Amino acid sequence: MQNNTGQNRWGEYRERELAGLRPILKELGFELAADQPHLGGERHLTRPLGSGRKLVLVGRRDGARVIIKASSEAGGIKEIEHERTCREILERISFAYQTFLSPKELLFVCRGAYTILITEFIEQERPFVERPVEEQFALALKAFKAQESAHATTYAHARIIKNTFGEMRAAGYVKKIKRYTQEAKPHAALGEACNFLSHNMQTLEQYGGFLTHWDFTPQNIRVRGGDIYLLDHSSLHFGNKYEGWARLINFMALYNPPLAGALVQYVRDNRAPEESLALKLMRVYRLAELVRYYVGWLPNTEDNLNELAKARIAFWSEVLRAVLGDQEVPAAVIESYKQKRDSLRSEEEKLRQVGLH
Amino acid sequence: MKIVLASALFPPDIASPAPYVKELTRRLAGAHEVAAVVYGSFPERVEGARIVAVSKRRPLPLRLISFTLALWRAARHADILYIENGASVELPALLIKWLVRTPLIIHFGDPAAKKYFSQKMLLRRAAGTITESPPGRPEILPFAPRPEAALAAYEQSWSGHVRMLEEKFAHAK
Repeated sequence: MQNNTGQNRWGEYRERELAGLRPILKELGFELAADQPHLGGERHLTRPLGSGRKLVLVGRRDGARVIIKASSEAGGIKEIEHERTCREILERISFAYQTFLSPKELLFVCRGAYTILITEFIEQERPFVERPVEEQFALALKAFKAQESAHATTYAHARIIKNTFGEMRAAGYVKKIKRYTQEAKPHAALGEACNFLSHNMQTLEQYGGFLTHWDFTPQNIRVRGGDIYLLDHSSLHFGNKYEGWARLINFMALYNPPLAGALVQYVRDNRAPEESLALKLMRVYRLAELVRYYVGWLPNTEDNLNELAKARIAFWSEVLRAVLGDQEVPAAVIESYKQKRDSLRSEEEKLRQVGLH
Repeated sequence: MKIVLASALFPPDIASPAPYVKELTRRLAGAHEVAAVVYGSFPERVEGARIVAVSKRRPLPLRLISFTLALWRAARHADILYIENGASVELPALLIKWLVRTPLIIHFGDPAAKKYFSQKMLLRRAAGTITESPPGRPEILPFAPRPEAALAAYEQSWSGHVRMLEEKFAHAK
């Protein structure tokens, strides 16, 4: 029942917002594409239901595709404005040694109740995941190095970033994982993960102060001309150097294990031993966060989606145990999970997933 | 020989000259008593060397005072003081040069560092300057053959660099 309610509420919100936005966008010279990959499937579960909602839409102007982010709710507007501020500050940050590539902003406007941010759509020859693993590795490494080049170390740096990006320090990670551990009970056991972070706070802090993309996954990057463009600047913050690495490696543990292994091996071969520990700490933290995230789905889902949430909790808990034990996830476990997931996913979600990564 | 290195940058900092200073500390620590006085909260460990860290997350005057004190404590009984260019190290080094007789050599490892009056004054008191640095360590990449030749050249370059420095240190006054 709750599932339908959540889905219905999202559907109503979406239609209401689209009805209000269409004439404004038309007036601004933009039109919406018929196919909107970011509106359907499990999208209603990936955004908070009460506040902070926004629409991510594909549009066109003069034949060229654009990305439109729009909201009429205080939380969503704040998120759009925050993303824009992050982008602006990144362009003029004085302590970054490399530049970041991000889609060009075409328009930022407040019309009626709506705040609208329109950026260019980065056309790519092939999505990230369809490239050979060697190329994926090289691209990811290049993007991580660009992020790492922004390292806030001084009092003055801290003042610049504090109010815009926010900063996660060791105590913050430990506090959060303690909360996840409590909230995930009785569906998942995160105690060992929590202890592991609590006992290694110095390493967490040691590699803090780096710019990192909280959601560094293929759906948030696009590749053009051998360069990675980062999407969703609101996911950038200052924290442990390996937070973004951990997100991608955990993701690839499911989608492309050789790439996950290559990234771990790179850190082992080229960086200080403490950095391998920092990477492991962040992988554990991000996995605990993911398990907690799917535990949060349970009261809002039913039938297949509820079964899917349970399967996801079980699978990511398995990955967490493997990382804690310095083991690889058996291929059979991955395959079995993929089959179960595909059998439980709705047709609409399967459609949404096509080309998403 | 008791050697004190001083640098504004040290890993986990990634910018030049951080990797150079750590590698030099590691290589010198095998044959000498080495202390590195650096800015940072949790510098990476180097076996056999003492790393003295001064937090950068304090207002500028406070961290300059802390660094000066730390450098003075380390340098007063040392045989050589080897510092990286940059005002945040040059200024404390200039102050302690009035207090200790330890010979000082400046390494220009940070091309981005601005030149202030402190550098000009310190150069007058320095026993020498070094401008060269070995190249960065070649990366070992997962899908490529191990760069054996480049790694060998890197080792050779470092051996030569350390030999040259030891020679300079021995004759510095």
